Amino acid sequence: MRKLAFVAIGAAAALALAGCASGGNAASTSGADKANIRVWFVGTDTPKDAREYLEKTFAKENPGSKIVIEEQSWTGLVDKLTTSLSGSDSPDVVEVGNTQAAAFTSAGAFMDLTSHKKELGGDDLLPGFVEAGSYDGKFYAPPLYSGARLVFYKKDALAAAGLSVPKTLDDYVSNGEALATANPGKSGIWWPGQDWYNALPFIWENGGEIAVQKGGKWVSELGSADSVKGLKEVQEVMTKASAAPKDGQETNPQVGFCDGTTLQLSAPSWVKWSILAAADADTPGCPDQEANLGVYALPGKNGGAAKVFAGGSNIGISAKTKHPELSLSALKIIESKGFQTIYGKNGLVPSLKSLAPTLGTDDVAKAIAAAAANAKLTPASPKWADVEASGVLTDLFVKIAQGGDVESLAKDADKKIDDTLNG
Amino acid sequence: MSSNIVAMDAAPTAIDGERMTAPAPAAKPRRRRPGGFTPYALLVPSLVILIAIVGWPLFQLIIMSFQKFGRAQVFGAPPEFVWFDNYTKILTDPTFWQVVARSLAFAAVCVVLTMVLGTLIALMMMRLGKFFRLLLTVGLLLAWAMPALTATIVWGWIFDTDYGVINNVLVNLFGLTDFTQHSWLINPLSFFLVAAVVVIWGAVPFVAFTVYAGLTQVPDEVLEAAQLDGTSYVQRFRFIIVPYLRSIFVVVIILQVIWDLRVFTQIFALQGIGGIKEQTNVLGTYIYSVSIAGGEYGTGGAIAVIVVILLMAISIYYVRQTIKEEDL
Repeated sequence: MRKLAFVAIGAAAALALAGCASGGNAASTSGADKANIRVWFVGTDTPKDAREYLEKTFAKENPGSKIVIEEQSWTGLVDKLTTSLSGSDSPDVVEVGNTQAAAFTSAGAFMDLTSHKKELGGDDLLPGFVEAGSYDGKFYAPPLYSGARLVFYKKDALAAAGLSVPKTLDDYVSNGEALATANPGKSGIWWPGQDWYNALPFIWENGGEIAVQKGGKWVSELGSADSVKGLKEVQEVMTKASAAPKDGQETNPQVGFCDGTTLQLSAPSWVKWSILAAADADTPGCPDQEANLGVYALPGKNGGAAKVFAGGSNIGISAKTKHPELSLSALKIIESKGFQTIYGKNGLVPSLKSLAPTLGTDDVAKAIAAAAANAKLTPASPKWADVEASGVLTDLFVKIAQGGDVESLAKDADKKIDDTLNG
Repeated sequence: MSSNIVAMDAAPTAIDGERMTAPAPAAKPRRRRPGGFTPYALLVPSLVILIAIVGWPLFQLIIMSFQKFGRAQVFGAPPEFVWFDNYTKILTDPTFWQVVARSLAFAAVCVVLTMVLGTLIALMMMRLGKFFRLLLTVGLLLAWAMPALTATIVWGWIFDTDYGVINNVLVNLFGLTDFTQHSWLINPLSFFLVAAVVVIWGAVPFVAFTVYAGLTQVPDEVLEAAQLDGTSYVQRFRFIIVPYLRSIFVVVIILQVIWDLRVFTQIFALQGIGGIKEQTNVLGTYIYSVSIAGGEYGTGGAIAVIVVILLMAISIYYVRQTIKEEDL
């Protein structure tokens, strides 16, 4: 009986507390006072020079205030941002993947920057990314940088197999298979099953789409005849040209490249720096391969550069920031020519179109320029981030890599994506 | 010595000559002890803390499970009450029942193996010499202290497709060339084999320590007497040790069932390394993928409430069974 009494007391207290605990807390508004501005960069893409430039310039322009950079990981970013941007301990300035931006602009997580658009770069900003950072006619998150996808290859392996840099997508596929046949156990094109970004050019080049908007509803089109044609080519590469794990992730592509089991791979442009990282770095690369490292833009179906996925980031100010003016000052530095030039020099496409020449004139720069000119984005739905996070796409491509029936797998995935996009 | 005095002293048993007798029922109702309210008052602070950190979130969860609660609501849009919509959606979804079945099966296997292995290790510790017992204790403590995420990543490396030590040993030492680039996670059954290894590896130390602590409390005289009567070791374990340790086993099994049913970290991390999420989701990762990754907090909340009810049903049934047996 005594136990029961406890339960009763507990329940009563719980109810009593529940009734009175929803008191709001007044947000304190402070002007241009001195404060630490927390900036979240995601992943290691943003070079050290750029981070230091931001810290120094900000400290000079805002005496007494300081930038605190906190590096986040891409894995689980959407839910991390959801919880931290909505909480009382929100960071001030945050980077978000361009395909994830809509999830937050639509939810009101970012401060409205429409009236500051001109100061942040205006019409010089990358248009596709401005679209990704806008919602309902308002401008929330300017572009941070764009990273084109390039194909990296071993010059000696290509030469030994008597092949040259492919001119069309079909050449690319047949080259990969020829390399794999000539080098048993190695990857002619390294392609782990979870890597769906690289499959998008195959869909787009064959005239397919991921999802299109029809009459106010999203319709997933992976199962359309054109998309399936592209997906079948993906399966061919994954099963015949790649020796990568069928359920592996695309992280650390430099490992296989450096130990010689990967002869070609398609990856964001900054992977060049992972491959060439010093042998004693935290994630070591193989700088001795520099002369042997070739690079080209993925070719399209009819020559030229293929439509590749335009990866990259937007950056916004949290709607809950306690220091909007200081945050805006930090954002202006990030969008300034000085800061963005550092991205260009490191092989990332700067957010300002006028800075494209900073990429340089070497092979990588030419390939980046070619790829960026024809880059495409994922569907512009606020729910797209949920599709990515749900793992539908990684599951689909793991199953394709296993050799499953492409058409029925694509149709199954369509159903799930439709549910999420329209749910 | 009169039995009256014995009853007044409330001794558990009385000795009447050579025979033991049960205590006589108290002659008059026991007086209420002074300060009967104090213990409750002393409990208030901890109760308040418990309610604040456990009760309030649970209450929020239940409310949320009746609402349409998406990412916009997290950022302040008012949620709309949909009452039982979330629940009907889940309970009619075959995916949910697959996940439940998968979780129950996985938890059952893990609990049984963990208990058997843990008990065997505890029994071994009773027989080991001082040095080896210390060595084993340190080893178990290290396994117990290792964070689940770290452990899973290390196990992931061990089972890695390209560079894993298991594949390497199987191919190079045993000549099993089938295991060249064998993916351990792509097949759901094999995925759960790896997951079970990780989970059991992490859970065995707790069971071993707890059971070992219980074993040291089993009186030697009873075991010795039984030995003199010619019982086998299995008989002694079955009829003496198990009854002595019953309450410990109950608590440990309930904890294991709860832990293994809501396992999250190990499965989630393994899904990142390889495998197909859809075929390997358990309750924990399913709630995560629906609510947090998918942005449908209301639906996720409803699943969580259902899981709480499920866990409570299992525990209550088990506790009741055991109390009944003890009463007999």
